[in-house]
Amino acid sequence: MSVGASRRVDSMLKAAAVAAFAAGVVCLAAGAWIPIKAWAAQLLIDAAWRREHTLSRIAVPWPWADTRPVAKLTVGEGTAATTLIVLEGSSGRNLAFGPVHDVASVAPGALGNSVIEGHRDTHFKVLHTAKAGDRISVEALDGSRSVFVVTDVRIVDSRRTRIVLDTNAALLTLVTCYPFDAINPGGPLRWLVTAERLRSKPAVASVATSRDT
Amino acid sequence: MNLRSFLVSLLWALLLVVCTSPQRLVFAANAIEDTPSGTLYLRRSAQEPVTEALRLATRMQVQVTGNVARVHVQQEFSNTGEDWVEGLYVFPLSKDGAVDELLMRIGERTIRGEVQEKAKAQALYNDARAEGRRASIVEQERPNLFTSAVANIAPHTTATIEITYLETLPFRDGRYTLNLPLAITPRYTPGAPQDATAEMPAATAAIMNAALGTSATPERVKAVRQRVSIEIDLEPGFALGEVSSLHHAVETQSAPSGKRVLLHTDDAPADRDFELTWTQASEKEVAGAAFAERIGGETFALLMLSTPRQMDEAVPAREVTFIIDTSGSMQGPSIEQARAALSMGIGRLKQSDRFNVIRFASDYSKLFSSPQPVTDKSRALASGFVAGLSANGGTEMRAPLEIALSGPSDPELLQQIIFITDGSVGNEAELIKLIHDKIGEKRLFTVGIGAAPNAYFLGEAAIAGRGSYTFIAERDQVGARMRDLFAKLEHPALIDLKVQWPKGMSVDLAAPLPMDLYSGDPIVVLARMPEIASGEVVLSGLVRGTQWTQRLPVTSVGDASGLSKLWARERIGTLSRQMHFGGDAEPLKAAIVELALKHHVVTEFTSLVAVDDEVVRSAGSPGHVEQAATSAPVGGAWATVGFAKTATSAEVWLCAGLVCLGLSLLLTYARFRRPALESRPA
Repeated sequence: MSVGASRRVDSMLKAAAVAAFAAGVVCLAAGAWIPIKAWAAQLLIDAAWRREHTLSRIAVPWPWADTRPVAKLTVGEGTAATTLIVLEGSSGRNLAFGPVHDVASVAPGALGNSVIEGHRDTHFKVLHTAKAGDRISVEALDGSRSVFVVTDVRIVDSRRTRIVLDTNAALLTLVTCYPFDAINPGGPLRWLVTAERLRSKPAVASVATSRDT
Repeated sequence: MNLRSFLVSLLWALLLVVCTSPQRLVFAANAIEDTPSGTLYLRRSAQEPVTEALRLATRMQVQVTGNVARVHVQQEFSNTGEDWVEGLYVFPLSKDGAVDELLMRIGERTIRGEVQEKAKAQALYNDARAEGRRASIVEQERPNLFTSAVANIAPHTTATIEITYLETLPFRDGRYTLNLPLAITPRYTPGAPQDATAEMPAATAAIMNAALGTSATPERVKAVRQRVSIEIDLEPGFALGEVSSLHHAVETQSAPSGKRVLLHTDDAPADRDFELTWTQASEKEVAGAAFAERIGGETFALLMLSTPRQMDEAVPAREVTFIIDTSGSMQGPSIEQARAALSMGIGRLKQSDRFNVIRFASDYSKLFSSPQPVTDKSRALASGFVAGLSANGGTEMRAPLEIALSGPSDPELLQQIIFITDGSVGNEAELIKLIHDKIGEKRLFTVGIGAAPNAYFLGEAAIAGRGSYTFIAERDQVGARMRDLFAKLEHPALIDLKVQWPKGMSVDLAAPLPMDLYSGDPIVVLARMPEIASGEVVLSGLVRGTQWTQRLPVTSVGDASGLSKLWARERIGTLSRQMHFGGDAEPLKAAIVELALKHHVVTEFTSLVAVDDEVVRSAGSPGHVEQAATSAPVGGAWATVGFAKTATSAEVWLCAGLVCLGLSLLLTYARFRRPALESRPA
């Protein structure tokens, strides 16, 4: 191998290393930007939430936003509690900023199934520890609070399953992608946390039934 | 140089992976999220982006002449994409309809479909599809569920097919009813989980997957607002009384010999069945008729008559078992209607009666361990039980039916089972056989609930249970429809029905005469005979020991009336019933195929297929398969949403970033190692 050829290889290797380094930095920045955006958006939205409360009119988190906060969701209790502001409309853009309420479903706390979706790797990361019996509380825009208790946690295939909206109880269904640590963002599995609203009075008195088997 | 080309290709590969992969994935995800409900989408494979090119519009034209309706269903498949498409559609049709015609329209030309054995029809269709010719096929999946497919729809064109069926319109409970099913209540097949999340109808999914040869996204039955237009020409042959559409706003115009009923908005709510009812202006006229058609050396006759609406007698004491479906598909208005119907039923019971209530979903429970007398206390317990019912879970009907059918029967009491359900089950045949085998002296009445109940199952269950059926589609119908049912339950049945044909002719009945007929139920008799029928038919029977007789003059009608097809359809129904009840399958199947081919009707073993000779797609891609969404019924459990994409591409970016940095390190390492390698002696 001649000296000239060796130099050419050397400079090529150098260029390749620099290019790979630059690409790596860009990718890392893009990857880091997603959680930063998710976190910063929640701060701005939280401010909008307070404005909406105090001014009692519809407030948008930033001037060009096409969504608005609809509820404040608290998952867990005490020091482990995570509070998130829920946005209206389940578009991909809204999901980048916070959990979203599916407009086809009822408002949280109303009779029916209220569906809230969030990203598994940002806002709804907390759901991976959810289990039956956990409390979830939702504060509506008017300040009213509903408390839900988790009744079911399950994994479903989104290609074969749909969420029923018309239920006879006030349900809250939190949806995020599964598995939580998967690399591929396009997977078909979803993690579903279903919670039922706690009633102020005990449920309808149970009726004596006999069961044959 | 090897090293050099290796490095260059490595760099390119790296750039490609890093720059395109996450974006493409994100793009595909957005395409799903931003699709408004009401359009269909189907992935060609998990990796490819979603396509949604197929649109479907339905037009129905109905000609009602006397007691027979001819229904033309036009399906317009529009391909709005850049690819060739094969369009698929699953749709409901009347459970009693004789589907006999398929027309495929290509510009000015019309190609008429042929009835062929299912496998042969499929082969003809597949050949035409592969050769690039236009083709369409209509198959029966269940007695009231059909599929249509149209092959080789060119980009930006529309293919139109027209499916025609005939149906009799019996006079029932004081009115005529025309039902045009528009929605499908997805069938529950036992064994699959069903909860606050609902599985897709497995049977349909299997059918479509077989047709597609791929695992398509089973995004089929959904809450869509479909494009449907309906036109009905009503010529009943008598002065019309009240004409009303139960669920859809319609425009009614006067026509020379009847009325014209129109429904056409671009997005008629197809989420519930279209139901038109009409009555006679004068109650005195006998709601009965006998027609005869002469075709191919044979005569086909149709008799229709309503049993006397008031068969007043002292009401015998009864033992009533109510079975109520509380499965997931009953959620929403359905369970409310069912609760209201049940409360009314219990409220109507007399002191001398006994009763029990069984509820079921995935499991079942009984109100009392055995039927109890009607007292204030038992009524109070029952109303508490009814108030506590909510809908959730699967539809395991077998166990509660077995319990109700096998209970000891008191010979002093009339044993009645009232079964309140939407009938959304996939194992219909098994359940009907159970009822047929175990009914004994009991009688089973079905009450269909919801916007699109499984009419086939509810009708067949009532036949097997020697009872009758009624449908309740909306909350405000509960009162009126339950009164129809009480009239049947509380009055003696007409038994020992006999038909005497003119000149003592021996005839071949399409189905055996019904054993029990209840107040308001129609008598429909289809017969085939060798000679020309003229004169009078005499129907007779017994109502609690008293003779009842009715005479009907026979009217001859033209050979285009389709009575032979109606006869064939009814006979085929009888043969498939025998098959369900354990008859010898092979000869029965052969008989069905023979009848279907002779009379040109679609059955579970024969399909309609239309193929064109002209090759339109000479070369290139055969395109892909798409399926139009079918409406789910309103208000039920099928008001559902799908899933948004709830993962970000952050991890993909981070991984790609780390890979790049690692590669950069490797390259740098390789660069510093090189001089040492070269200084070695060659």
